[in-house]
Formats: sequence, C-alpha cells, structure tokens
Amino acid sequence: MNTRFSVVLAGIDAEKAEALAAAVERELRAQERTMSRFDVEGPLAELNRRAAKEAVEPPEELWEILLLCRDYWERTGGAFDITLWPLNRLWREHLEQGEEPAEETIAEAKQQTGMERVHFNEAAHTVRFENPEMSVDLGGFGKGFALERVAGNLRAQGVEQAFLSFGESSIAVLGSHPHGPAWPVGIADMFHPTRTVHTFHLKNASLSSSGTAPFNRMEGRRAQGQIIGQIIDPGSGRPIEGYRTMSVASPSAMEAEVLSTALLVTPERERAALLSGFSRISAVEIVYQPHEGDFIPRIQWQYEL
Amino acid sequence: MNSESSSLSSLEPAGRAQRREFLKRLAFVAGSSALLADLPWWSPLRAAPAGDSPADRVRVGLIGVGIRGNALLANLLKTPGVEVAALCDDYAPHLQAGLAKVKGAKGFADYRQMLDMPGLDGVLIATPLYLHARMCLDAFSAGKHVFCEKSLAYTIEECQAIADAHRGSRKVFQIGHQRMFSPAFLRAFELVRDGRIGPITQIRAYWHRNGDWRNPVPNPGPDPSPFPSLERRLNWRLYLAYSRGLMTELASHHMQVANWFLAAHPVSCAGYGSINYWKDGREVYDNVNVVYRYANGTHVIYDSLISNRFYGLEIQVMGPKGTIEAETGRIFAEDPPPAPGIVQLVNGIERGFFDAVPIGGPSWVPELKKDTKGSTLVRERTSDDGTAISMAAFVNAIRAGEPIPGMMEQACRSGVSVLMGHASMEQQQKIAWPEGFRE
Repeated sequence: MNTRFSVVLAGIDAEKAEALAAAVERELRAQERTMSRFDVEGPLAELNRRAAKEAVEPPEELWEILLLCRDYWERTGGAFDITLWPLNRLWREHLEQGEEPAEETIAEAKQQTGMERVHFNEAAHTVRFENPEMSVDLGGFGKGFALERVAGNLRAQGVEQAFLSFGESSIAVLGSHPHGPAWPVGIADMFHPTRTVHTFHLKNASLSSSGTAPFNRMEGRRAQGQIIGQIIDPGSGRPIEGYRTMSVASPSAMEAEVLSTALLVTPERERAALLSGFSRISAVEIVYQPHEGDFIPRIQWQYEL
Repeated sequence: MNSESSSLSSLEPAGRAQRREFLKRLAFVAGSSALLADLPWWSPLRAAPAGDSPADRVRVGLIGVGIRGNALLANLLKTPGVEVAALCDDYAPHLQAGLAKVKGAKGFADYRQMLDMPGLDGVLIATPLYLHARMCLDAFSAGKHVFCEKSLAYTIEECQAIADAHRGSRKVFQIGHQRMFSPAFLRAFELVRDGRIGPITQIRAYWHRNGDWRNPVPNPGPDPSPFPSLERRLNWRLYLAYSRGLMTELASHHMQVANWFLAAHPVSCAGYGSINYWKDGREVYDNVNVVYRYANGTHVIYDSLISNRFYGLEIQVMGPKGTIEAETGRIFAEDPPPAPGIVQLVNGIERGFFDAVPIGGPSWVPELKKDTKGSTLVRERTSDDGTAISMAAFVNAIRAGEPIPGMMEQACRSGVSVLMGHASMEQQQKIAWPEGFRE
C-alpha cells in the first residue's frame, strides 16, 4: 500500500510479540494482494481490466470488500466513492502541466465515475462496469479495512494493549497506553511536525486522517504550488482546495477511514446529517492558512458524539 | 568516485567509435586514486584509448573459438587499437566460423604453432579448463602476454605453476573474471567499503539453471583429433578429465567476487555434491553445495544446480545494516526508517511516561522507492557484463607493457577456492587452503 506499518505491542514477552508481528505482516501482504490496483496479477487489477467487457466474479474477499464500499457509498450519500480514478488521473495530469482541465473534460470524466455505474449481481456474485473507462481504486479504504482485520486478529490472540499505525494516517489501538487511561494521539501540524494541533484519546478505537499536503512526498520536497494527496469531491468533480486535514476517530478502523474522506468533501452544514447514521464518532477538521510566509493551523470544524 | 562509477553504466559501448568514447570517459574514472587503491587492476584503463595508427596497434591471437571465445572475439573487434591476427582451434568448424569473422587473421589448429608466429604480442585462452595451465605456461615461455579464461587451472599445483611462471616476468596476465570490470560490481564494492551494509557477516551466492548444460553435437564424421570423441570435446564441461563442472565453470565467478569483497581467501571449506537429476552419463555433479570459511569467521555459502532456475543467479552480500544483491544490482537497507512518532511512543512506554505523540496526519509514503523495494546500484544496466572493459584493460596493459596489479592474486584465489570445493565434495571432508601457496 506504498507506506510503512508500525506495530507497538505492550505487556507481552518479546518472543510472542515477534511471532505476532510476523503474523500481522503475512496478513497485510495478503490484504495488499487483494486490494492493490497496481499488482497486475492481483484480483483488483483483473477486475479493472475485464469488468467493462463482461461480468467478473472476483474472489470472495474482494467481493465482500466491494459490497462494504457500496454500503458506505450509500450511507455517506455518495461522498465516499471508490470509482473516482478517472477524475483523479485527469486532475493529476493537468495539474502537472500547471493547468486546469476544461469543464467539458471534467463532465466527461464524471460520466466515467460513480458507484451507481458499478452493477452488482448478488445472485451470481459478479460485478460489471457500465463504462469502459471505469476503474475501482481502494486507496481510501484498504488501510482501514486491513487495520480492522489486524486489530481483530490481535485481540483474538489475547493482545490487550497495542498501537498500530499505517503510515500515520490510519491508527488503531487496543486497550489503553500502559501508563494511562487511553492512547493519546496528537494530530501533528504538517508544517511544524513536532507541534500538536489536537489530541485524540483513543481506547479500543481507530483514527484516520485524510487531507491535502503541500509536499511532494514522492520526491521528498515541497511541490511548486502543487497540492499532493489530492482529494476529489465526487459532486463537483474537482479537488478540494487549500491545505486541510480531516481526522476521524471511531470504534471501527474502516469507518474512520471512510469518514475522513467523506467528511472532507461534504459541506460543513451537511456533515452532522451524514454522521447521524454513525455512532461514537469524533472528528476534527484542520485548515492551514497562509500567514507571513508560513502556514498556521486552525481547527475549522469539530464534532463529538 | 561514487558519482563517477555510477555514471559508467550510462554509456553503452556499442560500436568501435562509441567504445572509444566510452573508454575515454572511463580513463577519467580509472585515474582516481581512491579507485586504484582498492581495485589496482583498473590501472591499465587510465590510458586514453589508442588511435588507429599501426604503432598503437596490439596484435593478439585467440586460442579456442567456441562459445566463450566468440564472446571475447566480438568484444575485441570493437576495442580500439587491437588487431586479431590469429585464431586457433583444433575443431575445424569453429576455426572456420571464426576466420570468416576476422579479415586477414591466420588460422591454426595447434596453439604451439600460433605461439611461434612472429609479431604476436599476446594470446587469449578460451579453451577447456584442463588445457589452461599448459597453454599459459607455453605462452609465457614464448614471451607472450596472456589473457586466460576462468577458472585459472585444473589443479592447485597448476595454479601455483602459472603464478610462479608469471612472477617477475613483466608479462601481462589477466583472468577472465569480468565482474572485476563490471560497473555494477564496482559500485557494490564501493558501498561495502563505505560501510553501507556494515561489516560483511555473510555472503550467499547461487547459480541456478534448468537444463542439461549440453551443447549440441553434430554427426561426428572423420575426427582426426587426439580427443576420444566429439561428444567429449564439445561437452567437455561434463567430464572430469577436462573440467570440475559447476564449481570451475560457474562458481569461480562468485568466489572471485567473494574473495575480492572480503579481501581474503578462504581458510577451509566443506561441501556436498551429487548427480541427482541429469543421470545421462555425465561425470560432473549437477548440484553442488559448499560452505567456505574465512579467517575472520565470515562464511560464504555457495550452491548451484541445473534442475531448477527459479532463483536464477545472485550473490548476496550481507551485513548488519543491509544487503547487496550485486547481480541484479540492488541494495536493501536492513531497517526501514521508523516513524518518528513511533520511536517517541516506544521511548515513552519504556520510561513510564504518558504523553501524547504528535503522529497523526496525511499518510506517509516512501520518499524513494528504495525504502521499500531496494535501490539500484547503477542508473542503467548495460548489455556489457564487464567483458568489454576487460578486453580494453588487457589491450591497454600490453600496449603499456605493464603487468596488471592484483590480477594474479584474484585469479589464484578464485581458482584455488573452487578446486578446494570440488575436492571437499569428492573426498567428503573438510579441505584447507593449501599451505604455502604463493599467489
């Protein structure tokens, strides 16, 4: 999934911890094979290659994942959508050239996206795309899904205290910090990473952050006026503007992952309604505003239920 | 020399003109004192490539125009300032095919007659292993510079005899271990020397193929040679009278690299070999497994088989900080950089602190692919595995009339190492480095 995975296991002996860590790695590699669109031999790449031409029966695990994604798409009113790849590609290609795509090109790409254009045959367990350019991308779902599996497996193995982090954007904890009532997790100021903007206290919970960053992380340098980690609003077909992050805590790693993106593309006034279908969610949106050559973080929106 | 050596690979020595350009660039790199301190055998490459004037021309003869001989020939024909004046092979079809490629070359069936040919500066020997020693010794006696294909010789005594004959002769001697001149291996060596993987704690090398390792044998017809049969002549690698099989013909390359990187020869080895698949009358093992021990406690683990090619060929140089896979040209860090917040979190837990760790944010992705998939040692791989540069080194050394420093040591160390491995498998016991051997 092109990131690092860290696992901290507390209160168990080193030998058992190493065996558990190895099992976690095996699980994650299997998950990656299922969900990667870049593994040409993997089931998702095969689905993307074939599903516009014929009904494809994905392996059971991928089928379940696609059903979950459809469910979340419905529950977020379309804000969470795994079919936005054509829009993502369009914007990336244009922004790299320093230009915006034309309105009609955006409209055209929008016709190639949308979960409503993915047809599920529940009886046959097959999937078919309505449009030849369509493509499923599990980048905004896979980490949460995998984390939920891993956390569940560790719990089943009797682990009571653990801290799991997927590239720092998706975190799950078991139990509480060995020296306190919860695991305190700070959201770092992305311009001054040692500073904390907001702290979540997690106990048997997960935290996911999505957002746009001013850095070209693939190249390790600041991009020229370019926003990396672009997030497309499926409604407008345009990337969200500015430097902003949405961090969501939930008992479910999957839900935290889904909601961090969905809330970011949902207008503030509609967010509470969206969240009424979920429980025990807390969320914080941080917006970075330019100020005297620097960027200052501000909590733009906050939700606790 | 870091940046320079990695830029070597971006130049592809295609034709003769391109190769001259390439060698001109190479001369700058080879002139670096840091490089020559560790790789003295690069010194002939300091010289600018020769022009086309007859005075610059080095005249060489090639003994053995088989598969490897043809590879050497193809490279010689592109090397500036060299004339292939003679070809020798006692198998007429190979000799005729060779002569068709080289205008004006004289053909010989007997290498001793070729050595008597006036005006020949040096010879290249690409013949079956058991012939190497007598041909090297005869060539030295005839006052010729010598390039000999690996492995050095058929017995340890013959290795010693070649080294003794060469010592003090002022003749150029070069062994056909082209990895000594491969930019990818050079870069790997630099990384090891610069401590990128820490001290070498183990080297594991393997060469796996899937095939019978046979050359097709045409309908023999009249065969006047002293060989018993055409089968044994063309498939000499399969018979113990001519070769030691996988050890001398394949393993010697990786043993040369291991000895080079460890700057030592093994003190002992132990191994097993057998014929467990290709039971077709061959005499050499179709699978070999040997562990070499070095004085500092480092081990080199070598295995080779010709009944499975899944893992291909590789030499893995391992240390506490990383692994280098030199054949595919990659380096892997042992520990990917930990997330800063995670380090802080673990420190806090261990010291009894309960602190929030600023860790959450948009996803971390590797800054470079190397963080997850290893990074490449040289920017581009060329089709040359070092053979082209080896030929230039040999020709330059002859022109300069200077022996190539460090070369005989490399030849002896790998040559003896593989013979030790063979002896260990044959005798089923531990074999020590020959006491008193003089490289």
